[in-house]
Amino acid sequence: MSTEAHRRFECFGGTATIHVRAASTTAGEKAVDLAQTRLLEAHRRLSRFSDESELTRLNDDPRWEVPATPLMRALADAVRRAGSRSGGLVDATLLDDIERAGYRESLDGEPSISLSEALASRAERAPGTPHPDRLWRSIGVDEAEATVIRRPGVKIDSGGIAKGLLADLLADQLREHQTYAVDCCGDIRIGGRAGQERRVRVDDPFGGGPVHELKLRDGAVATSGIGRRCWVAPDGGAGHHILDPASGEPAFTGIVQATALAPTALLAEVHAKAALLAGPKRADVWLPHGGVVIRDGGEVDVIAAEQPLTELAVTA
Amino acid sequence: MDPFEKTERKREARHRIRAQRERAGRLKARAVAISLICFALLWGVVFVEMATGNDPVLGDSSSTVAKGSSARNLRAAKAAPAEAEAEAEAVEEEFIEEEPAPVTTSQS
Repeated sequence: MSTEAHRRFECFGGTATIHVRAASTTAGEKAVDLAQTRLLEAHRRLSRFSDESELTRLNDDPRWEVPATPLMRALADAVRRAGSRSGGLVDATLLDDIERAGYRESLDGEPSISLSEALASRAERAPGTPHPDRLWRSIGVDEAEATVIRRPGVKIDSGGIAKGLLADLLADQLREHQTYAVDCCGDIRIGGRAGQERRVRVDDPFGGGPVHELKLRDGAVATSGIGRRCWVAPDGGAGHHILDPASGEPAFTGIVQATALAPTALLAEVHAKAALLAGPKRADVWLPHGGVVIRDGGEVDVIAAEQPLTELAVTA
Repeated sequence: MDPFEKTERKREARHRIRAQRERAGRLKARAVAISLICFALLWGVVFVEMATGNDPVLGDSSSTVAKGSSARNLRAAKAAPAEAEAEAEAVEEEFIEEEPAPVTTSQS
């Protein structure tokens, strides 16, 4: 029997890991090599922190319709679908707001302030609400012309949506292997012909050990939280990268981390972020396939699945 | 034959008959005693075999699947502890190799 090949590398401002067991150990190594190459190439194209990336050029382009590679078109389509599926809660067109909040360059490594300090610096708790303009609606894709269409000035933030999308795209390329797992910095897609269960540990946002363990044969899991990238905002309070779309300010909803299960990593990412923004009272509405919610005080709520992973959830 | 001789012969005849009866009685008693001893010895052997766990029904010469399985279990139970431990570790290692590596989901 072949052994599972593993690869761990820095990507998208975090750590990505790929696991593949193929017909032979050599074939597994080749598969993770190829997956790593594709992920790093995608990172190069979709980073908003590089002036040379395709995403930056698209965001700066004054035209309504901009020629784009298949990967960029897939991201644009994913941004529109994320907005649509979450009723506007997951809005990837808030790039100007997030830069105004203090997230102008890559924040790899330890946050400048701890999660506990960030929570203590902000007293108010309120759920997020959609931006009234819903700019994500203006984004479209013309596959025949190979272009992305959007109102000039509407900027796309790749963020978690790109990670979920790439986990799904790589999973499509690995699905013929016996087992695989693509972990794009927390957005994970799992599967394989062998149908074996894989354990998924849910990280503790306060720095302790895993708070929960899930088991997954074929599906995805993603986590969204405010603890990994915290900084001191211009007003002296804490800032982080999960914004309330309506206000454009970092969201303090009473939830510090939400983990969602879903059939695809993109959907899991959307559900996790929507659950976090919805706040403790309505988080479970966004977790139809189950998940784990951690509140400000460290309380862990395990949400049971109401739908199997094979059934796509329609929540709006 | 005078009356005295006649009486003497009758007395001798009765004496022989009594001797024959006595000999037949001794033979019967000896046969019963030997039978009882053989019966007791046989069941004594069976009792000892059963008491020490050597049930002849579960012996190696048995041809049924259940008996064979029991014999194997018996042999496995009698195997050296180190050997059994090594075998258990090998099975465990094989299982660990088969299980896909766990992953951790954290904030992206």
